[in-house]
Amino acid sequence: MDLNLRKFSLWYKFLRVMKLTTFILLVFSLHISASGLSQNVTLAVKNMSVQKVLKQISRQTGVSIIYNESYFDETDRVTFQVDHMPIEDVLNLCLEGNDYSHVIDNGMILIRKNNDLQPKQEDKFIKGKVTDNENKPLPGATITVVGTTRGVITDNDGTYSIEAGPRDKLVFSFIGMESLIIDINNQKVINVKLIEKSEELEDVTVVAFGKQKKESVIGSITTVKPAELKVPSSNLTTALSGRVAGIISYQRSGEPGQDNADFFVRGITTFGTNTNPLILIDGVELSSTDLARLQPDDIASFSIMKDATATALYGARGANGVILVTTKQGVEGPAKISVRLENSFSMPTTDIEFADPVTYMRLQNEAILTRDPGGQLLYSQEKIENTEAGMDPIMYPANDWKEMLFKNYTMNQRANLSVSGGGAVARYYVAAAFNRDNGILKVDKRNNFNNNIAINNYNLRANVDVDIFKATEMIVRLNADFEDYSGPISGGAEMYNLMVHSNPVLFPAYYPTDEDHQYVKHIMFGNYENSYINPYAQMIRGYKDKSRSQMLAQVELKQDLSAITKGLSLRGMASITRLSQFSVTRAYQPFYYEIGSYNRQTGDYMLTQTNTGTEYLGYSEVPSDRVMNSTFYFEGMANYDREFKEKHSVSGLLVFIARQSMDGNTGSLQLSLPSRNLGLSGRATYSYDHRYFGEFNFGYNGTERFDKNHRFGFFPSAGVAWSVSNEKFWAPIKTVVSNLKLRYSYGLIGNDQIGSRLDRFYYLSEVNMNDGGKAARFGQDLNEVLNGVTVNRYANPTITWETSVKQNFALEVGLWNDFSIVAEYFTEYRKNILMSRAVIPRTMGLSAAVRSNVGEASGKGTDISIEYQKSWTNDFWTSFRGNFTYATSKYEVYEEPQYDEVWRSRIGRSLNQQYGYIAERLFVDDNEAQNSPVQEVGIDLYGGGDIKYTDINKDGKINESDRVPIGNPTVPEMVYGFGFSVGYKGIDFSAFFQGVANESFWINASTTSPFNGNTQLLKVYADSYWSEEHRNIYATWPRLSPTINSNNVATSTWFMRDGSFLRLKQVEVGYTLPRSWSEKMHMSNFRLYVGGNNLLLFSKFKLWDVEMAGEGLGYPIQKVFNAGLNISFN
Amino acid sequence: MNKNKNKHMRQIWIIRVLALIAMMFNSCSDYLDVVPEGVATIDMAFNQRDETLKYLYTCYSYMPRNGNPGSDPAILGSDELCTYDDHYNFGGFDLSSVKIARGLQNTTSPLLDMWGSLYQGIRDCNIFLENVVKVPDLPDWERKQWIGEVKFLKAYYHFYLVQMYGPVPIVRENLPIDVSVFDVKVFRDPADSCFNYIVQLIDEAADGGLPLNVMDPAKELGRITIPIALSLKAKVLMTAASPLFNGNNDQATLQNRDGTRLFNSTNDLSKWNKAVVACKEAIAVCDQAGLELYYYPTSALTDLTDTTITQMSLRNAFCERWESEIIWANTQSLSAEIQQYTAPKLNPEFRDAPGIRSIISAPLKIAKLFYTHHGVPIAEDKTRSTDIYALRTGGIDEKLYIKSGLTTVDMHFDREPRFYASLGFDGGIWYGAGKTDDKEELWHIAAKKGEVDGQWAPGVGTISGYFCKKYLHFNNTLSSLSSYSITDYPWPIIRVSDLYLMYAEAINEAEGPNGANQAEMFKYIDLVRARAGLESVRDSWDKYTNNPKYSSQTGMRQIIQRERLIELAFEGQRFWDIRRWKTAPEIYKEPIESWSLGQYKAADYYRPLVLYSQTFGVKDYFWPIRNSDIINNRNLVQNIGW
Repeated sequence: MDLNLRKFSLWYKFLRVMKLTTFILLVFSLHISASGLSQNVTLAVKNMSVQKVLKQISRQTGVSIIYNESYFDETDRVTFQVDHMPIEDVLNLCLEGNDYSHVIDNGMILIRKNNDLQPKQEDKFIKGKVTDNENKPLPGATITVVGTTRGVITDNDGTYSIEAGPRDKLVFSFIGMESLIIDINNQKVINVKLIEKSEELEDVTVVAFGKQKKESVIGSITTVKPAELKVPSSNLTTALSGRVAGIISYQRSGEPGQDNADFFVRGITTFGTNTNPLILIDGVELSSTDLARLQPDDIASFSIMKDATATALYGARGANGVILVTTKQGVEGPAKISVRLENSFSMPTTDIEFADPVTYMRLQNEAILTRDPGGQLLYSQEKIENTEAGMDPIMYPANDWKEMLFKNYTMNQRANLSVSGGGAVARYYVAAAFNRDNGILKVDKRNNFNNNIAINNYNLRANVDVDIFKATEMIVRLNADFEDYSGPISGGAEMYNLMVHSNPVLFPAYYPTDEDHQYVKHIMFGNYENSYINPYAQMIRGYKDKSRSQMLAQVELKQDLSAITKGLSLRGMASITRLSQFSVTRAYQPFYYEIGSYNRQTGDYMLTQTNTGTEYLGYSEVPSDRVMNSTFYFEGMANYDREFKEKHSVSGLLVFIARQSMDGNTGSLQLSLPSRNLGLSGRATYSYDHRYFGEFNFGYNGTERFDKNHRFGFFPSAGVAWSVSNEKFWAPIKTVVSNLKLRYSYGLIGNDQIGSRLDRFYYLSEVNMNDGGKAARFGQDLNEVLNGVTVNRYANPTITWETSVKQNFALEVGLWNDFSIVAEYFTEYRKNILMSRAVIPRTMGLSAAVRSNVGEASGKGTDISIEYQKSWTNDFWTSFRGNFTYATSKYEVYEEPQYDEVWRSRIGRSLNQQYGYIAERLFVDDNEAQNSPVQEVGIDLYGGGDIKYTDINKDGKINESDRVPIGNPTVPEMVYGFGFSVGYKGIDFSAFFQGVANESFWINASTTSPFNGNTQLLKVYADSYWSEEHRNIYATWPRLSPTINSNNVATSTWFMRDGSFLRLKQVEVGYTLPRSWSEKMHMSNFRLYVGGNNLLLFSKFKLWDVEMAGEGLGYPIQKVFNAGLNISFN
Repeated sequence: MNKNKNKHMRQIWIIRVLALIAMMFNSCSDYLDVVPEGVATIDMAFNQRDETLKYLYTCYSYMPRNGNPGSDPAILGSDELCTYDDHYNFGGFDLSSVKIARGLQNTTSPLLDMWGSLYQGIRDCNIFLENVVKVPDLPDWERKQWIGEVKFLKAYYHFYLVQMYGPVPIVRENLPIDVSVFDVKVFRDPADSCFNYIVQLIDEAADGGLPLNVMDPAKELGRITIPIALSLKAKVLMTAASPLFNGNNDQATLQNRDGTRLFNSTNDLSKWNKAVVACKEAIAVCDQAGLELYYYPTSALTDLTDTTITQMSLRNAFCERWESEIIWANTQSLSAEIQQYTAPKLNPEFRDAPGIRSIISAPLKIAKLFYTHHGVPIAEDKTRSTDIYALRTGGIDEKLYIKSGLTTVDMHFDREPRFYASLGFDGGIWYGAGKTDDKEELWHIAAKKGEVDGQWAPGVGTISGYFCKKYLHFNNTLSSLSSYSITDYPWPIIRVSDLYLMYAEAINEAEGPNGANQAEMFKYIDLVRARAGLESVRDSWDKYTNNPKYSSQTGMRQIIQRERLIELAFEGQRFWDIRRWKTAPEIYKEPIESWSLGQYKAADYYRPLVLYSQTFGVKDYFWPIRNSDIINNRNLVQNIGW
């Protein structure tokens, strides 16, 4: 927030100088075309009206002659004969004796009445104001009269005044803006709004390896306005859910740095390994973390490619859909500086409630007794009573670990600066961003390090394009992303885990320094028999430093080859990415103390040290955090695009790609080898008269993973579209239904990432010649040890591509130019899904699964998006948009045993279907449990108060065979979002709701099982459980147990919950300072805004934020209140 | 002119573009060949001797971990030892066998299921046997030896499967990976076929290149030798002849889908004869190899009482590495872990030692099992008072067994030396642990509430009051709060005394106690008794009981079986023996009891407390085959009762 404003004003001066220079250049260029006319006229007229004669002269010479019709009437007639006489002389002849004179002006002839030399200004001058699309005046814009050299420049307030005839046309132009030609048509005041020249013009859509006119796009591509992705978070992936038709997305954790949302294009249709979409940023494949770190302000376009036609060119890797992001390029014009500053408060959306320590003790004692009447109680009645009475907190601790470990809120900052502009030869876009995200962990002041999560992310982007020659353009993009993480040793989620699994009453977090220990320098942490977890000690004992750097350099050359044939161009692009990451932890070993003796009378106690800690910090490296990757990518492309006879539009594209990626510390030879892809893809499109469109695509791709004979895959696709609204017969209703288009596509797409990364070369066996797991030992002193040999993978040369057959039906409707609706229905069929041969029995003795491409699955669904935009007056506008995505999947071919019970088969079930027992209720008593079918669900004894399951196959015992499909899939089938924005004058307000439906999740009964491993007691469990006194057979939690009772924690309907929710995802109110005010501060725009994220949540499930599903005891999803400031300078 | 130039330019460009594309694709196939020559394949394991040796070790690596508390069901899965169940999860070893002991075995995910890993081991043995012929630089004698070892292992893995699951599919040769889904669906082979195949493999191994003793003890002790092979053969034949597999009508209904009966329901006495021959042969070869009952070496330097020397002979017969009695010790399973969980602290100074949990204990029924010092059961000893729970104070006479002046129960007095060598108990003397002069004061166990080796809390300290002294090497010493030294040893699978007792048992079963081999029978059982400081069977029963039952086959059977349970207590034999004899249902009727560990005074402490009861039905003889295995291969039939 402490940006130096003086620096800015310097910038501003610099830019003004730049602007002046361009302006002068422009003015000079306006005066170049003044020259005389040299046409001759041959004409013979007899008593012809002057007007007719002038017309004939004009026709013969092609010179426009402009005059006021009122000057001449039918009575003004002339007779003459000329032969090859200069036009000026002919005019003189013509106008002889009249009070007229003519002026030659830039190829036109103006006839003026001599006595009218002082014309009425109001009549001849057109006035107006030129503004940009944000309604800000544009000083320095030029206005010229078409066909003349007459031109003016707008004033500082954007106003102009130009002399022009009522039938003239005016050209409005400004550097970096699209020029506009307007018919004067008798108007006296013409106000014009110029629109920025930009890549994201409304009628152009980003498609694979290029752009197409929106009307001619056949594939299913959703384009998101970058503005919609601006959320108060440093993680772009959290913005996707509900905003993009066709994306299924959810977020399970709120931990800074770990909060990437999961997202899938049109759901998951494979049970192979890779379900993630291909992410391309400026054409280069990157990870979801890279997408997460992208600054929305830097995004020029964000598109999702969903069907075969749209993704065909990425043949090898597009089966799961493609997310294509391009970053902004500089546009011709003076430097435009934009600054965004945000500060936000972040806090958990929902607070998990635990039972108080006294209840904890009571119920733990009860848990022991109810399972083993002779069991030894953990807490004496005296301890419970004294704790309840709030006696000496040292002797009777009652820790609220959550309160001790976590803050209520934290603050995060984001700053973002971009400068863009350029001239005719070179354009630039340079952006820098700084994000700081903090965790909600507490820090102990006695340590001099910060154990809370703190992430500083620095991002620098420079995109420069240079016109090397007239037809050759070079684009250089550099992007560097640096992230410094500092945080607790084992991460924020683990701190939650420790907090949940720590005993609240056995010891305090730490003991105050007493007289006996006054010389002790370390913190005296509490513990009990040195065998419990003290989460506070674990949290503050040290910290982890992690650093991630990613550098990306990209150069692109475009060559226009119109010289050879019109519409042909070449493009080449090469890119190198380097990623490196490492982390170290520094921590001391905590000293633990417990009360050695206690005097009840005086309250004096003696502490004994129970372990030997360290007062100094130890050091260790985290190998799993060590990431090194180097990626190279090249693409070469030939493009052809031409329109013939205005009706036939043809384009063709051929692209060659090569990609290599190599990891630095993979740990095995086969993994250390580079991953490579090669491909040749092509596209041919044809459209007729903006009505009929056809497209053919193919990808021919190779990967290093498969055997030579199966390395390359050919993936063709085709699509057609019909723009009904462009038909002539549609004209009558075009004002109502402004757009109606039908699209269809069909094609094949491949996926080479079919197995785990560890299993790359299916055609090779993988043998570990030095497996410690197969070591044997011999010898007198037992020290003759050799490692053994293990086959980790059996060779299968026939393994090849997973193939997806996709079909897409789409309907686009536009109503009254305000409403636009896109509805699509899709089907998908995946073949060759790699799966383990399930039917190979263990008697084969295989040490690794045998895999082959036998699985098949299908998916279908719809996605719909609706947009409505309307400006009611100049000051008042509204917009609404809604998205809906529905995607289901099912197994078609799945190798599985031939079950006796039909319900166990996966065929026909969703890929994310859960199987489990049907829980009827809790057993009333032990007697009922004894007399019910035997439950071989777990391995523990069960009785009254434990869950009673249904014996589906009625064979008298409940085991695997009684597991049936239960609930909805674990990945939501429906994701939707809707929101609106309104603006009135400077104030704008927007709200966005997002929801998910058709999802089930399971409360993790094992990790929430109270007392087991000192798990804290959830308040909902304490409030509702089966006890011997209150035999509530529908209680939330079954009979207590000091350990996990495996009968109760099996996946069943008992702990199944509905994952549907609707949440108020985002609200924002902004205020833009009136132009006149901001100008005083030398700014072109000044907007202040406040907003919030995840403010409201509607769901049946109240225990924790339902979006976290089963991970509810992890780092909570955050609610954010945000304030920001956006300034731009022109 | 201009047009021509344009045309020319166009041609050049087209050629350039085409050339570029051609160039790219020319290098395509190479570009995707990222795998360099020399990536490891299975063939490389048999390119040279040293790599093949690794594969030999691989075959050994599947050896079941005998004596490991977490993975050997015969340790905590029986009625011989007990520990806390997972209500007091301490995060140490796997508690599956505890669940087996408490009747919680299941079919969904059978506890301590070995089906997968043993069949993997068999597959690796077969791969070795298929390929070892190819190794160029392997001397012929060594090749033969290795083949012998691997055949033995293949036999042992099959035998282990049969012990656990009953009749199992035999895998003579590996099926290829791409075998059809029908051919992988193998059937269970009848028990007799299994045993025949196992014996055949062992014979092939023993006739081949197995050595009498390993050549290089420093490197090879633990590898298979002829005495090991023949002793195992004896054991296999004993098992095949035992009632569980020989004429077992309980299992008559276990049939393959095609009607093949898996158990032979007629008792075949000749199976015992085969066992007799095998035992005799094994004993002979052991003698030849210098394997004999172990006696603690006495020398002028050791100045110990005879009592202690007998104790040391008994204790070291199990705990001392590679002593003369060890025929086969499993070097893949060392005893340190079980020692750590069994050890008492002894030294009251270190009663807070966190590493010593003493949680593996023997129940009261095992303490009762041992003979009196007269070499007969307590109940049969006519000199013995019947009130074994009466309190009695240790005197000077038994000061090497019981701490003088301490009060304990009558049943701890006047027991056979193996009782004191195998068990630690409240008031019992513990020789060693840093105190090796038995003239001085030795350690003793104090296990009442609040005492150093008492139960501190459930899950901490003994569960029954008996410590399994047999496991603990006498040198193990707790020298500070956190430092307990353990003398590690490979787990003995077959000892000489085991072989002797098998021989005696086989003779008695084959011909009764009065047959042609009766002298041999009494000789070998009495050798074992003599080492334990006991008189011969005949003398003991004649002198101290009212029923010299050794003269009947049934009586002798009882004597031999009990002798075996005592001599081999805690060694992981009882679990299999009582199944093989089909005596488990009777034996399991006696519940698992402890002393009243929560008590401070002897009078309160020495009251038996039932920890849990056990039951044993037909289904408990064998492991269930995992449900999913049966669903995957419908040709497998499930064991009875599961």
